Formats: sequence, structure tokens, C-alpha cells
Amino acid sequence: MEKLRAVHYINQFFAQIGGEEKADHKPEAREGFVGPGMAFNAEFSGKAEIVGTVICGDSYFNENLEMATKEVLAMIKSFKPDLVIAGPAFNAGRYGMACGTVASAVKKELGIPAITGMYIENPGADSFKKEVYIIETKNSAAGMRDAVKAMVPFALKLAAGEKIGASAEEGYIPNGIRVNFFEKKRGSERAVEMLLAKLSGKPFTTEFPMPDFDRVEPNPAVKDVSKATIALVTSGGIVPKGNPDHIESSSASKYGKYDIDGIFDLTDATYETAHGGYDPVYANQDADRVLPVDILREFEKEGKIGKLHRYYYTTTGNGTAVASAKAFAEKIGKELAADGVDAVILTST
Amino acid sequence: MKLELGNIIIHDIQFGNVSKVEKGIIYINKDELGALLSEDENIKSVSFEIARPGERIRILPVKDVIEPRIKVSGRGGIFPGMMAKVDTVGTGRTNVLKGAAVVTAGKIVGFQEGIIDMSGPGAEYTPFSKLNNLVVICEPVPGLAQHAHEKAVRLAGLKAAAYLGNLGKDIDADEVEIFETPSLKEGILKYPELPRVAYVQMLQTQGLLHDTYVYGVDMKQSLTTILYPTELMDGAVVSGNCVSACDKNTTYHHLNNPVVRDLYAKHGKELNFTGVIITNENVYLADKERSSDWSAKLAELLGVDGVIISQEGFGNPDTDLIMNCKKIEAKGIKTVIITDEYAGRDGASQSLADADASADAVVTGGNANMLIKLPPMEKVIGHIEAADVIAGGFDGSLKSDGSIEVELQVITGATNELGFNRLSAR
Amino acid sequence: MILLTNNPKVQMGEKIFCDKEFVEGSYRDVLIAVRDKIHKGHRLLSHPLSGSVKPNETPYKSVIISRNSAGMDLDSLKIIEDSIAAYDKFMQNSMKYGYNNQESLLADFSEIDYRLIKAALDSASCR
Repeated sequence: MEKLRAVHYINQFFAQIGGEEKADHKPEAREGFVGPGMAFNAEFSGKAEIVGTVICGDSYFNENLEMATKEVLAMIKSFKPDLVIAGPAFNAGRYGMACGTVASAVKKELGIPAITGMYIENPGADSFKKEVYIIETKNSAAGMRDAVKAMVPFALKLAAGEKIGASAEEGYIPNGIRVNFFEKKRGSERAVEMLLAKLSGKPFTTEFPMPDFDRVEPNPAVKDVSKATIALVTSGGIVPKGNPDHIESSSASKYGKYDIDGIFDLTDATYETAHGGYDPVYANQDADRVLPVDILREFEKEGKIGKLHRYYYTTTGNGTAVASAKAFAEKIGKELAADGVDAVILTST
Repeated sequence: MKLELGNIIIHDIQFGNVSKVEKGIIYINKDELGALLSEDENIKSVSFEIARPGERIRILPVKDVIEPRIKVSGRGGIFPGMMAKVDTVGTGRTNVLKGAAVVTAGKIVGFQEGIIDMSGPGAEYTPFSKLNNLVVICEPVPGLAQHAHEKAVRLAGLKAAAYLGNLGKDIDADEVEIFETPSLKEGILKYPELPRVAYVQMLQTQGLLHDTYVYGVDMKQSLTTILYPTELMDGAVVSGNCVSACDKNTTYHHLNNPVVRDLYAKHGKELNFTGVIITNENVYLADKERSSDWSAKLAELLGVDGVIISQEGFGNPDTDLIMNCKKIEAKGIKTVIITDEYAGRDGASQSLADADASADAVVTGGNANMLIKLPPMEKVIGHIEAADVIAGGFDGSLKSDGSIEVELQVITGATNELGFNRLSAR
Repeated sequence: MILLTNNPKVQMGEKIFCDKEFVEGSYRDVLIAVRDKIHKGHRLLSHPLSGSVKPNETPYKSVIISRNSAGMDLDSLKIIEDSIAAYDKFMQNSMKYGYNNQESLLADFSEIDYRLIKAALDSASCR
């Protein structure tokens, strides 16, 4: 059999061009493999070969999504591939979004088998798991070797048009399509083992995740708002002008906590939004539109509320992993409780 | 309560002049057994066939599968309230003709499914392809109503199994297994460190052709109650469920309940298996509320740390399953549920008709809508007309080579919700 | 208690002594009629997916709801919505499954539906 022609998509970091400072690197095509492509080539062991590598900076890709996709796709197409591999992106959010976009565009628009690899909590995984097969990887490049070992046989299988088994067998992130397969143990034995794990607080994986309903029961109403300390928390990305903590415009890895003691109004000279997921014009003109400090100060003065909490918390909700958001909320919640805050107003965009 | 199971390993079934078990072979005098079953005035005629593992035989439509057993010592008899007096069973010694089964086949209602292929790809999905099966085909007297027909065939199957079981009464067992459940107090004293676990078994109880009997009682008319696990091994629970072949629990399943087996395997080592809570799946919603309240209450009363909940059937029981799970979790008792899925032929649809976040530990028996191609067989046992219809009636599914394409749900026991099989889905 | 059905055997059933509303239409039409009643505040009393006979097999359905209507019951709403979704899932392969698309089987389907709703009514002591 002839060697399959594979094309590899990677970002500026894995191409060893540079880190965040080079994230605006424009799409570029190179013959042969670059960086992690070497490991893929070795694992292909003659069945396929990386004939070309397409490189793009993560910022450039995400900020020029439509154009970058078009450019990258044209470069990939020029190599006439039988197979396309994007990433793996591990836990890098914007790289994950790029890999997911590229792989699904290759599949949809070029009709060529394409896969990528990511950590389960990469926001790209949630966004693209139903579009393309995403092999589950560890959360950092330390997992490259395992990722290559898992991605290569799967990619070859997909390229050969063989039947793809269940996610648990093949190692891809569950995509909502239920596939039957034979387990090693019968169901009752699996159930007993799962129960023992659950009883002893050890990790276990349900075979059928219930449809998502992360519902939170509302707290009882605040008895007397006129005596309550109210805090503001937003996922709308409102930050002091200049974004001093560099909260990412999407797939945020952190949140900010800012002192608004003595501040009665957010103006275009003092505040802006770091959010990259909506038109920022109106938020930048008057950040109170997202984080209503002005109104709460009025209420405070009129005695409608006890007082506005001294700090507000902010992050960008855009593409931010649910797991990250939960982790932020746990920390924020603890601090607010410790500071004696009675109620919180959460604003989004 | 302590029960000894003496397994007599069966390699073959043959017809003969004298009914007996010898050197692992069951010999059956057809006329004698036929006469016994024909005593029922609702049965016009009975015929028998043998289907062995690997043979190119298809059995359909299958009603029930029953393992032959006999009580050698201890109180009562197999299938109490049905075949024997209502004595409490589950103690002493029971002999089992392991590797053999009685399969009742024949049409009761027009749409009844249930295929057992003894070889080929279909055989991989049903546990009954691995058994030596005596197939009992009963023809009812003309004009017999469906409910009377169901009952006649149900009892004929139990009678035939009891008849075969009786042949093993004085035979030396090839292996002996011992199962023991102490009283609550003894268990707590004996295993103070071990987590206490109960098994909540949901029984199909919706009505005609969807019923289950416990000591002869129609379970839809009972409140949730408690059994010693060994009572199941003596036939305390009998299937009257004829619909949804892939996830109905046959009497064979009840006798060999895999959850009971696997909890016993870890009993006294990693957990303390306290007992079985049996509950129903009625159509009336207030019954569901009451029964699931009782499941949770009895689990609490037993003082267990965790339960495994198994289901039977599709749709309506999903609601009971989720109610049981939610209410038991709300008592602070950990749950694992066993179900199967109807995710559509492409696997893309929502699998269950109900869901709740508290059901965070689920074991699945697979997607029953999955398509499977079954090659033609040399011989079809059961109801020839049904065989013709099943082939012809599948719109466009009859292939030129005589094979048929069907959903997995027509195969008896394929996606069993007691966790009897290795089949799963992700 | 009100019984909604499209099954003539249930509608004519002499042993079924409660108010009946006959739905001229499909299994799904019955579910929709039930949903509309739930929107108006009636409570669901029997499970709409009664029976293991799949929605793409049987054409008959009978469901009982409360006579009284109060505020909308969210549990009832959830069950009927889930049931309609399950119905639609099965009807993606409507009537093509099994050997069930035969006129001769209608009497059996009708009998099963009749018996299942009878079991529910027995539970409700409406004999």
C-alpha cells in the first residue's frame, strides 16, 4: 500500500517560533514535519508520512477566524493530503479552538479525514467534540508521547475507512453518539465495582452521563436588602483600563479582583472590557452598562441597599471552560462569604 | 439464610425412552412430558425441539427461558406460589441443571418478539445461545384469550422446568456453591467495618404481558418489599413479561440474578450484602411515587450505605428508575443504576425517557436500536408463520442472501438491565 | 379523572367507568392532547409511555389525567414532554421496524393498551 499523505497543523509555540509574543504569527506552510511532527512520523512507521506542516499563531487564528481558516485550509489543500492531524492542543484553550476549527473545516469542506487531540477541559473539546474526533490527551505537552501513540492508530483507522468503535475503546472524547461494544466484565460486576468506588470516594466514570443540567437551587430571598452588603461579579470582562492582570479575551485562565472604594461611576477613561466575544464599543463607552456600579452607588446613598462591597470580581466568560469557571466561583464565593457579603449580583454580557 | 447450590453440568439434551440425567446428558421422554403439559385444558397440543450451542437454529418468538432446578433439602419447592406451596424458600440445598434451559416459544400476541440464534452474529448477543435448550411450543385451544394464553404458556414452561429439575434430585453435583446472608444484627456484628449494600430490583408490572410474580403474587398489587437474595435462586420471582425481548428479565435471569451473584462475590470481603429490595413499575403515577418512597424507606431502614438499582423494560420504567435513584440518594445513600438505551439507530438520540443529575453512576447494557444483520438459519423453531412475517415484514430489510437486518431489541436478553452481559455503549 | 384515548376498545370498554375523551388521531395526537390538558392545569395520573410496546409499533394510546385543574404541575409537564420526545425518536423509523405494520395485529395492540390502562384504573380504584 502506498504511504498516506498526512498534513499536520500546529501553532507558533509547537513550531518553536515563540510563545505568547509570537501568537500573531500569520499562517505559514512548510514542507515535511515540524516539531511534534517528528514523533507522528515515527509512529506512522511507514504507513503514512507528514508531507507538510501548516503553522499559525493562536491569536492570529482566533482573532481573524474566518480569514485564518480560509488561509490555513488552502495551504492544507495544496499538499493534497489523505489525512490531517491538528495539534494535539492539550489544555491550551485558543490552540484547542484553532485545532477544532481546522479539523472540522477540513472534514466538512475538503472531505478529508481529520482528527485532533485535547485535554477534556480544553474549551475546544466542548465546542468541537460533535464535529470531529478529538483524542483525549493529558493537560500538558508532557503527555505528547501518549497522545501520539493514541492519535496515530486512530487516524490511520479513520483514513482507511474502518469502523470506528465506542469512545471508551478508541480514546476519543465522547461525542454524544452512542456506540455499542463488549466490555471485559459483565454489567453487574461493573456496577458493583462502580458502587465500591463511589462509596469510598474514589473516582469512577459513569457509562451514561446524564444530559447536562447544572442547575443551582436559588437561595432564599435576602430578608432586608436595605441592610445587606451587595457585591458585583461579572463574566463580562470589565477591567481597569489597560487590563492590568492580562485577563484573556477568551478561554480565561484567571479572574481579577479590583477595589472600587470611592468610585461612583465607571468611565471610558478608567474602565474597559477585556471580553473578546461581543462588540465592546458600548461597554468601553460606559462600563456601568455591564457592571452597574453607578446605580448601586445611588441605591447605597438612598439607603435601598446596605452597601456596595469594596471589591468586584471579573473574568471573561467567552470560551472559558466550565471547570475553570467553577474553580473561579469556588474561590470567589469563599472570599465573599468571609468578607461578610450578603448577596451578589452576577452580570454577564 | 443459607443456600447450597449443587451444579450438575449439562453438556447435551436428547430425547429418549426414559427421562433421566446421566453423565451430563438430559434424556427426555417426550410423550411423558407432553402428557403432563397437556393436562392444562387451555393447551391443545405441545411439541418439543432441542437447540444446542453452535447449531444453525433460530428460535422465535421466545416467551420465557427457565433453568431447571430442584430443592433437595430445606423448606419449600422451586417456584413457590406457582409450582410449589408458598413456603419461604432460599435455605438448604438446591440442585441445578447447569447449562440447560427450557425455552417457551410461540405466538401469544401478534407483535411479540424474541429471537435466540444458536450460532452466528446474533448468538453473541444472547446468553441463551450457550445453553442446551429444550424448546417447548404450546398451541392453545382455539379462541383462547391473550391473558389466559399467556398464563397457560407461563405455567407450561415452569412445569417443564420443574419436570427436568426433578431428574437432577439424586444426581451428584459437579460443584457446590454456598450463599449466605446473615440477619441484620449478625451482619453488623460480623462485618462492622464493611460498607452495607442492598440491591433494589425493579420488576416489570404494567399489566397484561408485562407482569412479574413473587411467590405467586402479581407484583403490581404489592408494595415494595424485601427478600433474602437466596430466595431468588429458588424461584421466588417468576417472569410473566413477554414484551421487549432485549431488556425483559426471563425467569432464568431471576434465578441467576447477576447483581446478586456479584454482590455475593464481594460479600464479607469488600462489602456487606444485606438483602434485596423488590419494587414495581406500575403505570399509575401515584403507585410509582408510593413504591419509590418505599424503596428509599426500606433502604434507610436496612441502614445501607449504598445500593445497586436495576431496571426492566423501556419508557415508563425510566421514570421509576429515576424516582428510585433520586429518593435513595436524597437519604444520603449512594446509588449505581443499571439500564439500557434507546438512542436511535444512529446512536444520536436521547437514550432515556427521564433523567436526573443524581443518577451520576450508570451502567448501561447498550443501545437496543443498533442494527444487526442476522444470516439465514437452517432451521427455525417456534412459529414458522412469525418467521415468515419477520423476514417479509421488515420493510426493505430482507437481503437477497436471505439474511435480515433487525434492531438489537428483538434478540432475547441482548441489552439486559440486570447487567447479565458484557455489552455496553459509550 | 379523565381518560384520553384513541383506542376504540377503551372508549367502548364497558368496564371502564370514568369520563372519556376520544381523540380522533394518532398515538402522538393523544400525547399532544394530554400535554394541552396539562398546560391547563390537569395532572398526569398514568404514564404516557405505558407498556414496552414501542411507539413505532402500536398505534394506540390511553392516558388518564386528573379531573381537577389547578396550577400547572411541573412533574406532569416534564413526563409528557419527555414522552413526546421519546415518541418522536422512535418515529424516525416509523412502522418499518419489526413485523408490526400489519392490519391483522391491530386487535392485539388494542387489547394490550386496554389491559394496561385497565391496570392503571384498577390502581386508581375506578373500576
